[in-house]
Amino acid sequence: MNAPLPVAVDAMGGDRAPADVVAGARRAAEEGLRVVLVGPPEQIGDTAGIELVACREVIGMGEDPAGAVRRKKDSSLVRAAELVRDHKAAAMVSAGNTGATMAAALLRMGRLRGAIRPCIAIPLPRRGAEPAVLVDAGANAECTPQMLVQFAQMGAAYAIERYRIANPTVALLSIGEEASKGTTLVKETSELLRAGVPGVRFVGNVEGRDLLGCPADVVVTDGFTGNVALKTAEGTLRYAGRLLAEVFDHDEQTKAAAAVLAPHLTPVLARLDPENTGGAMLLGVRGICVISHGSSSSVAIANAIRVAHDLAARGLVDRLGAAL
Amino acid sequence: MAPAETHIDRGPLDREGIFALIRDELADILEIDPAAIAESSSFEDLKADSLALIELVEALEEELGERTVGFRIEDEDLEDLRTVRDAVDYVAAKLQVG
Repeated sequence: MNAPLPVAVDAMGGDRAPADVVAGARRAAEEGLRVVLVGPPEQIGDTAGIELVACREVIGMGEDPAGAVRRKKDSSLVRAAELVRDHKAAAMVSAGNTGATMAAALLRMGRLRGAIRPCIAIPLPRRGAEPAVLVDAGANAECTPQMLVQFAQMGAAYAIERYRIANPTVALLSIGEEASKGTTLVKETSELLRAGVPGVRFVGNVEGRDLLGCPADVVVTDGFTGNVALKTAEGTLRYAGRLLAEVFDHDEQTKAAAAVLAPHLTPVLARLDPENTGGAMLLGVRGICVISHGSSSSVAIANAIRVAHDLAARGLVDRLGAAL
Repeated sequence: MAPAETHIDRGPLDREGIFALIRDELADILEIDPAAIAESSSFEDLKADSLALIELVEALEEELGERTVGFRIEDEDLEDLRTVRDAVDYVAAKLQVG
């Protein structure tokens, strides 16, 4: 049996590249996962034995995504996507420019047959259960009802493969549970989903306050709303964390209380930490593309590589294609 | 694996050939019947948005770049391409085809 293909990692993506990316790749390699780094050798330095695919250019975080992919054909992002396209890598991982990552994946791997547009799926933490999936978390600011229906189909297929949820329920994000609530886009999409869509067990609308600890397994929305929701949740959790830290640091009594609570809080907070989620997934391209948070440390990179390998082995792309 | 070839002899590409190339690539991107695409078709009528046009440009550069090293479609020129005929005329001019 052939060895599995490696995961191609954009060595120059993210705030902590290349050092933390290389360290994350090393962590994954030590677990027995095949990894290949992509980037300019002179900027990466010692890869501790991990194979390096050399390139000369890097797409920066602030660059125009499509323009950068077109101009910098020898960039680490573009080359990583090409490795997947050419079946030299099972998947790609990048913590770099999200828009450019999507553009590289789309223009090099190609769009999945039948997919109008790719979308980004992210995990929503839930207590005592596998995460729910939010889709689209920012790929498409403007959407049509047909796009949202496809996001629902791909999101459900992803929830099955990623989180082993057997028959996922799907909800639309709106400003009320009633079918009459929401924008024209939401109402028209709701109508299509209620009429019945293969692979989508539609259960109605959820609101923003339902996203954390969500009762539905998949939540569908347009990319603008999804991104606002994602950033709001992240900011709220971070703010609550700071408030809690201030209380714990108040005096000797609260510090002692913190020491008692710490072992119980740590695993709970770990589930909320983006470092441990394995990254976001681009759905709708002909390959696996994991988009890691821009501030990813080596832990997050290693987690993303692990998820990429797992989903490649499970044939995620074929499942998504079959779902459309 | 054989090395990439930069000058593949596929014979000269005339205007008709350019149209066929653009039509087939666009049909593949939009997942429609190539017969539905005429030179007079506008990208708007075909529902080819800016993303689809970038995909078309990339595909043309990859295909034509093997015939003519350095063939490139400038991003700022994309705004002026409203119809399939515009795209054919543009590529023909780049390739200096009558």
